[in-house]
Amino acid sequence: MKLIVFEDQTYENLFPLTYLRPIFELRCGATTLLEKIVHAAGADSAACFVRDWMAESYAEKTDSPVNDLDQLEGDVLLVNGGLLADGAVDLSGLGEDRAVTAGDALVAARVSADTLAEARDGASGENAAETFEAILAALCEKLSADEAEPTMIDAPWLLIRHNVAMLEKDFERLYAGRAGVHGDLHETSCVVGDPDRLYVAESASVGPMVSIDVTDGPIVLEDGVKVLPHTRIEGPTYVGPDCQLHGGKIREGCSFGPACRVGGEVECTIMQGRSNKYHDGFLGHSYLGEWVNLGAMTTNSDLKNDYTGVSVYFKDELVDTGERFLGSFIGDHTKTSIGTLLNTGTIIGVMSNLVFNGALMPKEIPSFCWMINDRPTRGLGFKNMLFTARAAMKRRGLDFSPADERLLAHVRDMVKPKLREAIRKAFKR
Amino acid sequence: MADMQDVESRVKQVTSDILGVPVDQISSESRFVQDLNAESIQSIELVAGFEAEFDIEMDEDEALEVKNVGDAITFIAKYVDE
Repeated sequence: MKLIVFEDQTYENLFPLTYLRPIFELRCGATTLLEKIVHAAGADSAACFVRDWMAESYAEKTDSPVNDLDQLEGDVLLVNGGLLADGAVDLSGLGEDRAVTAGDALVAARVSADTLAEARDGASGENAAETFEAILAALCEKLSADEAEPTMIDAPWLLIRHNVAMLEKDFERLYAGRAGVHGDLHETSCVVGDPDRLYVAESASVGPMVSIDVTDGPIVLEDGVKVLPHTRIEGPTYVGPDCQLHGGKIREGCSFGPACRVGGEVECTIMQGRSNKYHDGFLGHSYLGEWVNLGAMTTNSDLKNDYTGVSVYFKDELVDTGERFLGSFIGDHTKTSIGTLLNTGTIIGVMSNLVFNGALMPKEIPSFCWMINDRPTRGLGFKNMLFTARAAMKRRGLDFSPADERLLAHVRDMVKPKLREAIRKAFKR
Repeated sequence: MADMQDVESRVKQVTSDILGVPVDQISSESRFVQDLNAESIQSIELVAGFEAEFDIEMDEDEALEVKNVGDAITFIAKYVDE
């Protein structure tokens, strides 16, 4: 049976994290939502359906077929890419032509070849994404559905809420059977707690005077990880391939995707990958996209002084998340200057540049925005932003493709009215 | 056609607000950097201020090339006319 993972409109709830990636590429625990779905479905891979404007760029980054309608043949298992496959829904045990729903959302459906063929008949749209949507709508009418209460990632803070549990689960699934120190651990470094809760990959190296504390959760140091002297790591924590830990306090609940550089104090934070928080400064209960760079002493608040729930701007409304601890959500390619102070529950778009001037940044900062003297501007413009991003990527031997550039231009056009309005409000006399 | 006197007075007012220079010390000949002591980052604020004031969107590269108040008035008037 073929596995098909799809995005529904929920991706909009996860902006800015999903401006440049499908929802199921978001990280929670040691792996992405997609990797968890593939495992839970008992599959080796999945074909994917994403919003039309994402397809071209995403297709370049994955081996999976993307928006390929030819994949919709034979028996298929359709799974919503916003599902956190934590076992609450038995994907591999779904009956034929049965669906699982949660409110209005189709969570998963096992569809026979005949039913799929019927749904495809007459379903059409202007592009593959729209046609797929039409097929899905037809299927929803045909299939018997059971209402369930799965964990759907339909707001960004849920990634943080579930990260600790997912780190534990992912460790049990992927690393517990091969736990141990397979790489270099300097003789002056120490492991606190049960060594079976630690995985240090063969090509990882841990320098002198490092404390690796697995008392409260497992720790993974993937291939190519370098841990520099005096770093303290608390579990559960996942450090992805080729990350560097620069002597900081890496506290519980952290997930770092590939090639991040991390220092200072970090707690309960997910970094998608290739982002830098190299210097001192606190970052807690936050999610950073790719290619983010936090200047020295950038610090966020993740707890209000009155201990009440943290509010965030969610689809243009300030909503109480109910989370007591919540930090910042920072879109790809965004940079902060030295000393930047981020308020509790701050949302920052993609490709923005925050220049500190002594006060807390506002709780919502649009994409493609330079914050100067507490006011949003368009900075040096889109071309210049691309130039800077390209320079950052080239330092790691990577570059934009024309499809990536088109994706960024699409997002820029999409968010332009919001930035313009923010500028107008801030500067209007 | 843009009312050039109106554009001029508003350009000077925005310049004054952002650079902290009294309006009466700003002339069409005033150069943003040399005469009004604008720092590079304030050029970006000036562009944002003009765009907000006139509800226009200027080409960033061209806007940042404008060196003095008089040229800014002419440049902005072009967008206001559009």
